[in-house]
Amino acid sequence: MDRERSLERFLAGIERRALRIAQMLLRDHAEAEDAVQDAMIRLVRSYGGHPEQQWRPLFYRILRNRITDAQRKRRVRSILQAWRNDAAADETAPDPVESAVDPAGTPEQALEGGELLARIEAMLAGLSGRQREAFLLRNFEGLDVAGTAVAMGCSEGSVKTHYHRAVQALQQALGEWNS
Amino acid sequence: MNEERVRDLERKSRAAFDESVGSMDAATRSRLARARATALGELRGRRRIWHSPWVPAGVAAAAALASALLLVGDDAAWPESRPALTALEDLAIVTGGEDLAMFAEDEEFYAWAAGEIDDGVG
Repeated sequence: MDRERSLERFLAGIERRALRIAQMLLRDHAEAEDAVQDAMIRLVRSYGGHPEQQWRPLFYRILRNRITDAQRKRRVRSILQAWRNDAAADETAPDPVESAVDPAGTPEQALEGGELLARIEAMLAGLSGRQREAFLLRNFEGLDVAGTAVAMGCSEGSVKTHYHRAVQALQQALGEWNS
Repeated sequence: MNEERVRDLERKSRAAFDESVGSMDAATRSRLARARATALGELRGRRRIWHSPWVPAGVAAAAALASALLLVGDDAAWPESRPALTALEDLAIVTGGEDLAMFAEDEEFYAWAAGEIDDGVG
């Protein structure tokens, strides 16, 4: 019962931040909620018996895997949709400009977290996937280098490199804040 | 890169992120609470299965014996093997269960992709 209470406290403490991070990586609210719920279930099922201090990096490792999976599925759907459109002699094909994903998100998304965060999100979209993950996990979630390495499934040295490059790129893009 | 400017960027972006987390709407918070309850229900479900009369007594006894051996082994016996055990545990965290789960997910993904392609062809 203590274990269950500890897990509940842990999940309650992490779920909102995890959802926002998943939203930033997936840019889809429903998919992000599914990924977070799935990560919660898998953590409880597979790692609930592990020491508590391991839960946070493990949770983000699982969440990262779910997000990668969702992104792969999205890419496959997109390719298949393109094939189907070709086969249908393009009369019903969507306008590629209209159907393109806006890297800055919808206006609602931009306003939701405030203008500053919307700008950061737009800038983050321009980073490589690994840089984006390193920045979100280190700076927003507050994982240390070792925890981030577990979550990202890479070495601590890689985490430091990705994070440094992410900060460098963001600082260049957002230079006007500090000028 | 100027260290002070880096800290400033980190602090400002983190504050904006924290604000967006804090202002999450009630409907989303409610869905998260339901998701959490579902996840914890998994734990209760397992506990129920464990105590279920349908679990053969032999299986339960064997598992209890294995658990006891692991506990004893962890805390008391073979102290010289402790560093090796710790290293194995650490390895398990990084490369263990979840990586195996990832392989399973890959299989799931390819099965899903094959289904999608069949749907497209069919």
